[in-house]
Amino acid sequence: MLALLFIIFAGMAIGCAVAVVAQRNPLYSAISLIGVFISLACLYVMLAAPFIAAVQVIVYAGAIMVLVVFVIMLLNVEEEERRRPRLKFLVPVAIGLAAVLVAETSFIMYSVRFSPFTPTENVSNTGLTSQIGTGLFTTYLLPFEITSVLLLMAIVGAMTLTRRSASLSPTARIVPGTQILAMDILTPGSSENLTAVETDTTTEAALLLGVKPRQAPEEDEEI
Amino acid sequence: MDLTINIVLYFVAITIAFLTIMLMVAATVLAERRVLAFLQGRLGPNRVGYGGVLQPFADFIKTMMKEDLVPAQTTKFVFLLAPMIAVITAIMAILVYPFGPTINLPLIGPLQLVIARFDVGLLYVLGITSVGVYGIALAGWSSNNKYSLMGGLRSSAQMISYELSLGLSLVGVVLIAGTLDIYSIVEQQSGWWGFHWNIFYQPLGFIIYLISAIAETNRVPFDLPEAETELVAGFHTEYSSIKFLLFFNAEYINMITVSMLATTLFLGGWQGPLVAQFPLLGVFYFLIKILFFLFLYIWLRGTLPRFRFDQLMSFGWKFLMPVAILNIILTASVAFALAALGWL
Amino acid sequence: MPQLWWYLALSAVLFTIGVVGVIIKRNVIAMFMCIELMLNAVNLTFVAFSSFFQDINGQLFVFIVMTVAAAEAAVGLGIIITIFRNRESLDVDDASILKL
Repeated sequence: MLALLFIIFAGMAIGCAVAVVAQRNPLYSAISLIGVFISLACLYVMLAAPFIAAVQVIVYAGAIMVLVVFVIMLLNVEEEERRRPRLKFLVPVAIGLAAVLVAETSFIMYSVRFSPFTPTENVSNTGLTSQIGTGLFTTYLLPFEITSVLLLMAIVGAMTLTRRSASLSPTARIVPGTQILAMDILTPGSSENLTAVETDTTTEAALLLGVKPRQAPEEDEEI
Repeated sequence: MDLTINIVLYFVAITIAFLTIMLMVAATVLAERRVLAFLQGRLGPNRVGYGGVLQPFADFIKTMMKEDLVPAQTTKFVFLLAPMIAVITAIMAILVYPFGPTINLPLIGPLQLVIARFDVGLLYVLGITSVGVYGIALAGWSSNNKYSLMGGLRSSAQMISYELSLGLSLVGVVLIAGTLDIYSIVEQQSGWWGFHWNIFYQPLGFIIYLISAIAETNRVPFDLPEAETELVAGFHTEYSSIKFLLFFNAEYINMITVSMLATTLFLGGWQGPLVAQFPLLGVFYFLIKILFFLFLYIWLRGTLPRFRFDQLMSFGWKFLMPVAILNIILTASVAFALAALGWL
Repeated sequence: MPQLWWYLALSAVLFTIGVVGVIIKRNVIAMFMCIELMLNAVNLTFVAFSSFFQDINGQLFVFIVMTVAAAEAAVGLGIIITIFRNRESLDVDDASILKL
């Protein structure tokens, strides 16, 4: 019974993992990756680790992949187009190295299976939440605190990286005539302040924005 | 043989719970329209059946018969997948709630009125809520409609922001109970004629949980992303017939499961007077408490205006989350002080 | 009863698929997702060993790995968004030289 469940969940995990690699549309890859995470959570439950399974669903499938899906939607990512593979001579080398890798992995599996030290039953109750809590706050207290600092660094880093800079992108051009700009472009983050800045000439607008004006009257402004 | 009996019993339990939830959804739909109407000084639907009781079924038949439109340039697979994810994650959350106390049947023995009871029930509910965000985000994306995309992204951003304070407000309850198992949390609230309920130990946590739950289920006053006057209808603009019905159902089932979580964690679940003598009274009390929360939802819908999106997000991040963390600190300090004094 | 080497074999297969994905894919978000797949394969190995040897340390390490993966996801996607803003393309081949 457990072997059947293992085969089902493992098959789902491998199928979704192959779909992650084989799909050209990155949104489908993301959905397949969510499938991998959920089937891995089911495998963790079979391995008597219910807390880790729940944390896997909450953190990986529920937070990280939501972030990835948001980024894919906001950046409007296109499908990859096919292209013919370059460096065709590397394919036999890849097959040879893959054969070596498969041989090494099979040797490890063989020695794990027939080793006298490998336990055969996994009737365990090691995954209780109380045990994880005890370990996390006694033995692993320092990694726990360092991880919290790491998360703070990640928050600050993500906010700093995606903040729009105060100047326009280098591909922006300025059209002569009246420009109405929102204060949000001049000082990013002041989104409550929607007063407009009206200028008459390109030089004044350029001075305000800090870019060089160009003589390109018939092209659109691109921000 | 034992295994097959267990599996059959699980199927029977799941079917009964599923049918109960569907009936409750129908009742909630009807109750919302009638109670909202009374709040607004009118009558609401009372023609179909006695007092309008068959109105939800009439709505169901009407919606099923509508034409099923699929926009031309959508990714069809994701378009079909989104309402399925929304409904499946909504229904999966009812697995861990105890509907009543342990009933001693004469032939079979003790029967626990919960479908699945496991160690990390509360984390399971939080995980299911996190996966439910995908239904809305993918629906907004796959409709190939910029209003749907905006509504979908806003709605999912709101949901993941308030998930945080939802989870944090429940940490206080877990600190008091010492376990993540919902059945045990309900059993620990017994005694003292109802004054052992967690709402008396965690009033701030209860309020934070209630606000986060209303925001999580996209209800007034947090329903900007899907209100009819904003963004057409948000993420489910392009959905018609059965798929719209699935989203509609998912919203009401979410309301019911969130109310179930509130009653089991804060109001003592099936606890009430005379439950020890008549165990089936526990199921009745459970339903009464859930109906109270549903009435609260409808009452808020009839009373409050809705928040603007940036007000909503700043409220969730800048006020509710620090208050939830403050609640955890307060609870932990009080628990530690009481344990040090030897009173706990 | 699934044996330990079944879980190790599954983890090896998932890790290999992740490596193949990182090498083959050109979209930078898809490469990032294959890296997450590799991290999950390693998590599975840790939890399998922790369960079979009745040792909680494997699961504690998995907890830390998940947290680090979350932090890495946030910063990595921030970098991806910034690269996209500057180059207007998510193809890694377009980002192979340092000049904008």
